[in-house]
Amino acid sequence: MQFLLSEDQKMIRDMAREFASDKIAPFAMSWDQNHEFPMETIRQMAELGLLGMTVSEEFEGAGLDTVSYALAVMEIAKGCSSVAVTMCVNHLVCSILQDYGSQQQKDRYLKDLASGREIGSFCLTEPQAGSDAQNQKTRATRTATGWVLQGKKAWITNGTYASVFVVTAVTSEDASGKKEISAFLVPRNAKGLILGKPEHKMGQCASNTIEVTLEGVELSEDAIIGGENGFKVMMNGLNSGRVGIASLCCGIAASAIREAVNYANERVAFGAPIANLQAIQFKIADMVTGLEASELLTLKAAWLKDSGKSYVESASMAKVFASEMVNRVTAEAVQIHGGNGYVREYLVEKLYRDARITTIYEGTSEIQRLVIGRGVLKKGFL
Amino acid sequence: MKIYVCCKQVPDVAMTIQIKDGKFISEGMNYVLNAYDASCVEEALVLKEKYGAEVTLVLIGDEAGKEALRKGLAMGADNAFHISDPALNNLGSQAAAKVLQAFFKGRDFDFILTGKQAQDSDMGLAGGILSGLLNLPYVTNAVGLDVQDKMIVVKRQGDEGVEVLHMPMPSLITCSNDMNDPRIPSLKGIMASKKKPMEQVSLTDLGLSADEVLKESQKSSLKSFGLPPARKAGAKIEGDAQTLVATLMEKLTKEAKVL
Ligand SMILES: Cc1cc2nc3c(=O)[nH]c(=O)nc-3n(C[C@H](O)[C@H](O)[C@H](O)COP(=O)(O)OP(=O)(O)OC[C@H]3O[C@@H](n4cnc5c(N)ncnc54)[C@H](O)[C@@H]3O)c2cc1C
Repeated sequence: MQFLLSEDQKMIRDMAREFASDKIAPFAMSWDQNHEFPMETIRQMAELGLLGMTVSEEFEGAGLDTVSYALAVMEIAKGCSSVAVTMCVNHLVCSILQDYGSQQQKDRYLKDLASGREIGSFCLTEPQAGSDAQNQKTRATRTATGWVLQGKKAWITNGTYASVFVVTAVTSEDASGKKEISAFLVPRNAKGLILGKPEHKMGQCASNTIEVTLEGVELSEDAIIGGENGFKVMMNGLNSGRVGIASLCCGIAASAIREAVNYANERVAFGAPIANLQAIQFKIADMVTGLEASELLTLKAAWLKDSGKSYVESASMAKVFASEMVNRVTAEAVQIHGGNGYVREYLVEKLYRDARITTIYEGTSEIQRLVIGRGVLKKGFL
Repeated sequence: MKIYVCCKQVPDVAMTIQIKDGKFISEGMNYVLNAYDASCVEEALVLKEKYGAEVTLVLIGDEAGKEALRKGLAMGADNAFHISDPALNNLGSQAAAKVLQAFFKGRDFDFILTGKQAQDSDMGLAGGILSGLLNLPYVTNAVGLDVQDKMIVVKRQGDEGVEVLHMPMPSLITCSNDMNDPRIPSLKGIMASKKKPMEQVSLTDLGLSADEVLKESQKSSLKSFGLPPARKAGAKIEGDAQTLVATLMEKLTKEAKVL
């Protein structure tokens, strides 16, 4: 067994690290406080190839592996997790197009998204249907020329800036209420697509989240992606998204630990740096141990995917473990900062808020545990 | 145009430096392309984009030194030479210049860029010595480069302002990191860098012996490392404006005796 990154992977990690420390970290607190979406930074990332990392070069991606992607997300999230989630959601849309898109759909949308000339949104959640995705009400009705979509999608990341939306909708329902759900590509200029105002969030305030309303949006026949009832297939594709979010959690945690360590070494109480106190040392020990474990779970899931092995449960384990880890780690980083940790002047205050969403989006912790638990119980455990 | 950039790999100065018994502890350190050299690469690439040029990197260093070269290639340099030999570890500036002199013998180029110093030793000697050995016109501390009518236009940060010098080709120029903001390599650049030529050069290839290098190295050698002494805490004066000024005057005249 070897825990070694390839030379390429190291270079990619270093490049993302350099970008995050030069072009993201110095501005992250001001973006957060002004609720500013850093479009210019996203453009620069696009130029470096960071927005379509695992898309093949044929479609203007970088043609890289999932491990490299995970490493890059970790580094970008060290700078700002809002930027990382923007990157992750675009990557998710790219992956869906790459895996399930027709040649025509790829030509039309994937090249723009993988090169980062445009960014994409993924619309699954509805106001009444989050974890319970089967309960969605958005309808896709067949017409003579294609489809018409009617419904409302909630919490849509990148929505204000997206050029294309992958939208799930119910295509049929049988007598027992069992639904068939499919996914559609809705271009931004589609008539009847109404974009709401950005939500005021607790954290990740430099990412963009809106409500999207579809009011009789007419789409042509070829707007459907992955075929009818293709949603189930696509849900598997969503698992790779969890590797991205787990990586994002590792990035936030790494920043929180760096801040906590620096602060503990400098802050003097009772005549000595608080770093000398065993209570603080134990906190730091737990924090780095949690981060290390999360990184290993995350990179293992990424590696399984790259190796063509089953990684669904591993991705869920990484996501649930890393997101709960980063909530503990950022809380402890605030604790180590004392009162200073509670004010906007200190980065840990932001990191604590940013961490909170990670156990909720891309499948809550509870849902991840369902995936893991059911998977293990079904297969048995020897 | 043919531009050579001489590079060095140095410990990442953002990390905490550890010294034990006068020795620098390299274990656990990250090594990176010297920031001044990165500025040279950047400037060479800007000239390449403007006028067309071949940008070649040269580095003396162990196996790990290849990482710094790959970084430069990923930024956009065309090819690289990796001069490597067990006898070349911990080279002094004099010996490094000697090795580079041997490397440049018989080579055709328009100018050589080097960082004005290396971030680790901060000697700032190798470039100057090399220009002497190669008998090349030489200018230090460049903050801007351009080419006009077959002359190199160098903006140099002098003591009293920026000087503009016209240098013939070939020349040697040492560069400041104030010159530019080196580009971050793109993923495409990183992947392309693997396929760019990186040639291994040994001491024998250069017609040098380990003894010769050692002799040069001894002309200037590093005896030991030490951390700068911790600064003494300053004195804090408190009170209203009147007391502040009075106490300060007292301290300046009686204690520091500077007034
Ligand atoms: C900032 C942000 C960005 C987002 N971005 C996107 C996006 O780009 N695209 C998109 O489609 N969605 C997005 N979401 C939506 C997100 O994925 C959902 O909020 C999430 O899936 C939870 O759904 P919900 O909010 O409806 O909560 P609910 O599903 O109502 O859950 C409420 C609580 O009940 C628990 N629960 C529900 N069902 C079960 C169960 N079966 N067993 C145990 N516990 C259960 C949940 O775990 C949770 O604790 C985003 C959300 C936010 C806040």
